[in-house]
Amino acid sequence: MANKRKFSTFILLSPWIVAFIAFSLYPVGYSLYLSFSKYNPLAGQAPQFIGLGNYKEIIQDPAFWQAVKNTVIFVVGTIPVTTAIAIVLAVFLNQKIRFRSFFRASYFVPVMTSVIVISTIFTYIYSPYGLLNSFLNLFGIQGKNWLLNTNFALPAIMLMMIWASFGYYTVLFLAGLQNIPEEIYESAAIDGASSVQQFFRITLPLLRPMLIFALVINTIRSFQIFSQIFVMTQGGPLGSTRTVVYYLYNMGFQKFRMGYASGIAYLLFVIILIFSVIQMKSLSYEEQFYGR
Amino acid sequence: MAQTARRTLLYIFLSLIAIVAIFPFVLMVLTSLKQGGAALTSIAKLIPENPTLKNFVEVWVADSFGIYFRNTALITAAVILGNIVLDSMVAYALSRKNFLGKRAMFLVIIARMMIPIQVLIIPIYVLMHWLQLYDTLAALILPTLVQGFGIFLLKQYFDGIPKSLDEAAIMDGANDFQILWRIIMPLAKPAIAVLVINTALTSWNAFLLPLILTSSQGTRTLSLGLALYSSRYGVDFINQMAASSISALPILAIFLVFQRQIISGLTKGALKQ
Repeated sequence: MANKRKFSTFILLSPWIVAFIAFSLYPVGYSLYLSFSKYNPLAGQAPQFIGLGNYKEIIQDPAFWQAVKNTVIFVVGTIPVTTAIAIVLAVFLNQKIRFRSFFRASYFVPVMTSVIVISTIFTYIYSPYGLLNSFLNLFGIQGKNWLLNTNFALPAIMLMMIWASFGYYTVLFLAGLQNIPEEIYESAAIDGASSVQQFFRITLPLLRPMLIFALVINTIRSFQIFSQIFVMTQGGPLGSTRTVVYYLYNMGFQKFRMGYASGIAYLLFVIILIFSVIQMKSLSYEEQFYGR
Repeated sequence: MAQTARRTLLYIFLSLIAIVAIFPFVLMVLTSLKQGGAALTSIAKLIPENPTLKNFVEVWVADSFGIYFRNTALITAAVILGNIVLDSMVAYALSRKNFLGKRAMFLVIIARMMIPIQVLIIPIYVLMHWLQLYDTLAALILPTLVQGFGIFLLKQYFDGIPKSLDEAAIMDGANDFQILWRIIMPLAKPAIAVLVINTALTSWNAFLLPLILTSSQGTRTLSLGLALYSSRYGVDFINQMAASSISALPILAIFLVFQRQIISGLTKGALKQ
């Protein structure tokens, strides 16, 4: 009987065990090994151990640093804007208003759609004869070929991603706001606090755990930006939209320098790990706050 | 009076944002219905004069989006089914069984969620070649068949289902699978709904794995097909918008029907992750 129970536990766990070994444990280990190796799968040779060679080369690779710079610009340029928009909208939606679920749902539509579809639509909007230029023409402003301009391509993609993601964070913050008891605001109002004071003294402090969580999630996602670049610019013009993951793809799957690409992947891993640890801490805050 | 004016302004502002959020999709659909050659938009010519579905037919048949649609639907269905069946087994063991290393395993599942997929793709690419599964649909299904997110979600939900129910069933001689399928799963429908929504979305919209694990048209998914289409036929925007609609409209239709459940499911999913 006891043996039978143990056997059934093993059967129950077996899908995870197989998946974990094949798609987590082996890949994490093998890519670490590859990051210390030279490996071109098309050459038909086994990976060749070269110690820290890839990492030394990556650190001196100007294209890599350009990718890091672009990614950091993307992160720093989009996240504060997205977060600010989302907080304002969430506060507005948290009042007693009609059609709240309509507004919430419409802001969420871009979140539901694949980045590939969004990138295709925006390539169209940003094209020389596209809607953006036609709109600017109404005000007598001469348009540009936005995605082929080294100064504008990255900001154009950043703007698109702010549009694509603000709805997600709005809904997240709205859920957080709805957990703040109405009475707190009522007693603050009786004490004569203005709505601006209420926002900075009550809403923001109580939303803090959710805010940290959203910032970290958004940072992790933004460091991984890739598909947009693939569809819209392929990293160009002149590397002005090349991000870390696009460079990883370019090295690993276009130039087939898989050892080098694994080194980039591990550097990315370390960055994301740091933010994940921050997230773990923020989550435990959150659990305290909501008592979950 | 000032109160009314403020509320009106608020509604106008919220509506403007709603228009900004939805407008690109309206543009997508309107453009996809245009007659060929008139993609160049000026704002005055947004609405097609003689709407036609021929772009859809062209994209669906001549450009193989019918095949991509079938592949994507197949993969999504298989991954959803796999996650329901397999995640629930693991979640049941974590919730109901005692075994050595249970806590460690739980921590490993959580830690695994922090590993970015970019670290895994090169070894998975090598593995799929070695298994001779490169450029097959199986290569796209297998890596996401069991996922920590679903295990975690179901385990939390199972923990809330009273154990007295399964003890009664054990008395009646039921085995673990019967308890899981006859007693626990029917009670866990809300959690399964969240799992289905999350898995369906990520699977339908997946891009990176199809990009690196397939090479031929016969195994292409909608996202990959559209991405390659967009970068190859740079200026054929009418057909691109038809192809985008084929990829986006099924998801948007489901969202229209289930928006309340989907929004609460996705935010909960994020909170629990």
